[in-house]
Amino acid sequence: MNKLDVKQLVDNASGRQSRLIFHEQQIYDQEQEHIFGRCWLFLAHESQLVEPGDYFRTFMGEDEVLVVRQKDKSIKAFLNTCTHRGNRICKADNGNARRFVCNYHGWSFGPDGSLTGVPLEEDAYHNQLDKSKFGLKQVAQVASYKGMIFGTFDPQAPSLEDYLGDMKWYLDVWLDAMPEGTELIGSAQKVEYPVNWKLPVENVCGDGYHLGWAHAGVMTVASSMNIDSLSVGNTDIDSSTAMSVTGMNGHSVLSTLDGYAGYAFYPEPQKAVDYLDANRDTVISRLGELRGKQFWGSQINFTVFPNVQMLPGLNWFRVYHPKGPGKMEMWTWAMVDKEMSDDLKQMILDNVCRTFGAAGMFDNDDGDNLIACTTQNRGWQTRHQDIYTNMAMGKEHSRPDMPGIISDGLIGEQNQRFFYRRWQEMMSATSWDEIPNYNNLEEARATEKN
Amino acid sequence: MSGSLPITSPVDTETYLAFQNLLYKEARLLDNEQYEDWLEMLSDDVHYYMPMPARYNRDEKDTGRQALEANIFNDKKKHLQLRVDRFRTNFVWSENPQNHLRHLISNIEVFPGDIKDEWKVLSIAMVYRNRLDGEERRMIVSRTDVWRVEGDTVKLAKRNMVFNHAVVPDSNLNVFF
Repeated sequence: MNKLDVKQLVDNASGRQSRLIFHEQQIYDQEQEHIFGRCWLFLAHESQLVEPGDYFRTFMGEDEVLVVRQKDKSIKAFLNTCTHRGNRICKADNGNARRFVCNYHGWSFGPDGSLTGVPLEEDAYHNQLDKSKFGLKQVAQVASYKGMIFGTFDPQAPSLEDYLGDMKWYLDVWLDAMPEGTELIGSAQKVEYPVNWKLPVENVCGDGYHLGWAHAGVMTVASSMNIDSLSVGNTDIDSSTAMSVTGMNGHSVLSTLDGYAGYAFYPEPQKAVDYLDANRDTVISRLGELRGKQFWGSQINFTVFPNVQMLPGLNWFRVYHPKGPGKMEMWTWAMVDKEMSDDLKQMILDNVCRTFGAAGMFDNDDGDNLIACTTQNRGWQTRHQDIYTNMAMGKEHSRPDMPGIISDGLIGEQNQRFFYRRWQEMMSATSWDEIPNYNNLEEARATEKN
Repeated sequence: MSGSLPITSPVDTETYLAFQNLLYKEARLLDNEQYEDWLEMLSDDVHYYMPMPARYNRDEKDTGRQALEANIFNDKKKHLQLRVDRFRTNFVWSENPQNHLRHLISNIEVFPGDIKDEWKVLSIAMVYRNRLDGEERRMIVSRTDVWRVEGDTVKLAKRNMVFNHAVVPDSNLNVFF
């Protein structure tokens, strides 16, 4: 198949995107190969796979994979498809298994993916089947970063640590704040949206602009703390204590810097605020003053390119699985510190479900907008009209005390521009060798292509 | 015995029909967005619960679930009130224009409750929602209710629901079941 010329689809200098990228099957197919086939993608949290044989069924792009804890405690991941005739091997969401048996002809595979049993191997195959060649196809690289297990199909991909780059400094505000680390609660909350997968990512990665308007209803009734930087409405927004951070190979951060606002949308935030106060010194000793005082507890939106988002405070963790150009599944969990009491975990879980769960009062505002941003592109004239993320261009700067490229305030479109820049870089490159690595303003400028 | 047939009914016909009418009335209030009237039908200590569905192998059905599990609703009255208050701000753009919403209530069974003045009522709700143009959703929810006599009325004290979809097929679940 001829590769598309993706240069015309995104223009970083003007913040322009072609709406074709939300609609065309050919572009979507190239995303599967170039983005979901190359990037490090979230597989599971260590807390979900405790014992040998524990497994979790998930997706990398549209490829269904099984993530399995091994006897030696390492993690392997395989395509969830029988190497004989292609049937799905595991159908449960998660569980523990000593082997995976295909329902079609009974081939069985060990937790390490090796083909261990073939019915009638002697009588029907006359012992001519080389079982060592028919193990489950393994995900090329699997690695963990502080509890989060990622995998990539590309053996040439840089290490997970390098892939995350300076984003690690920010992720640690959640993943490494407390000594015991984090865990995901319960099973995934799965919601199907008739939405292109990139739209919710851009919505959460940097779009503080929509907060006061799109979510005006819930922000009027649910806000329990007086947080200036999250104030309701289109006026009087004091964004002086908030910032967007990006660069960092397409990963991004959006945050208030007040140390408390993450819990502003809890009907009764006191328990969470008490937890912050009780542990603030511990976190400062682990992460330093800046991250311990100003970031920890703040409203923060983390985005790991291409499809992972996590919001400490609101405490949700989310992955978007593409299901075609006009459809995706959103999987959400509550993520908590292991040290938290069951009481606090339950309160956080319930609040995650009420705000950003299936019947979440915030998510229900976003759905309607993102659906229309996708479906309007059915129109030929409509999808040939470009759209822009060109707010506050050229205001990016650096700070000596934190990594990344920074813009002041929650309201801006810098992070979205870098998301689409990274999208374009991944889509244009023929291999990882052609994909630039940048973590600050100078590196980002030096590697900018258009 | 019911009449001349060798069938035992857990409650008399009059009680059954009374609860059937009550569930129909509740459905009508929800369809007509009379949410304050609906809240009036709920006991002050109501527990409105719908866990998030998950699929486990049969032999791990009971061991697979964890102590803390995600939910779609785990609401007390004040949380349901909050959802209604949000709706009444008139800033919930996804409800404007008004959506077509219909609750079809079926498979009703009524049993005496575990304690006096309580009744256990089973039903299945099919909820049809039409947003704009051809955007339609149908969702099936099984409900196990406890209705309680409070003074001169009967109120919903508990509703445990099973959402019969592994993946939620609607991104704007601004509805009660």
